[in-house]
Amino acid sequence: MARIAGVNIPAQKRVEISLRYIYGIGPDRASAICNKVGIPTERRVNELTDDEIFRIREVIDADYKVEGDLRRDVAMNIKRLMDLGCYRGLRHRKGLPVHGQRTHTNARTRKGPARPIAGKKKVTK
Amino acid sequence: MARSVWKGPFLDGYLLKKADKSRSSGRNEILKIWSRRSTILPQFVGLTFGVYNGQKFIPVLVTDNMIGHKFGEFSPTRTFYGHASDKKSKRS
Repeated sequence: MARIAGVNIPAQKRVEISLRYIYGIGPDRASAICNKVGIPTERRVNELTDDEIFRIREVIDADYKVEGDLRRDVAMNIKRLMDLGCYRGLRHRKGLPVHGQRTHTNARTRKGPARPIAGKKKVTK
Repeated sequence: MARSVWKGPFLDGYLLKKADKSRSSGRNEILKIWSRRSTILPQFVGLTFGVYNGQKFIPVLVTDNMIGHKFGEFSPTRTFYGHASDKKSKRS
């Protein structure tokens, strides 16, 4: 068990993989951190020494914005758009796609599960 | 893809003249513009523009936060009246 950057406790996996459980760290950053600290790729989290864990924490604190800070940043960016009253802000407010995708069909990620339309006939064979 | 920095911000040049003119005249009138594609520059802050949306001029008071956005972003071109079926389901 290792706590890095707050609540994340990935164990048993390779360091490079388990670092990705931290919000804001993906494949690229995970391997960059490993390089910097000097951890071989085969090393697993439960095989790390306390010193290595400490150094990983230091690197993340110094170089990257992760977890709560990052989430707040993203939320602030969205809030800024919404308060401005620009097109992208309006799309965020309505929960529709922001980057100009079609909404005639699809767009289910933003719109959520499909709601049945009252009075629409079902197609029967 | 983002625009190259060396090109500088895009805008229709006559907007600068228009803004200067209204600044020097001192009157706070709505500047009617059709150029929705132009970038909002720092020298436009505080002025009110009427941005054409194809039908009307939507008044836009330019603030600091808007710098870097385009005029068109603040003047929606479509009106959404909701779906007919939504109304029915609400009534019943």
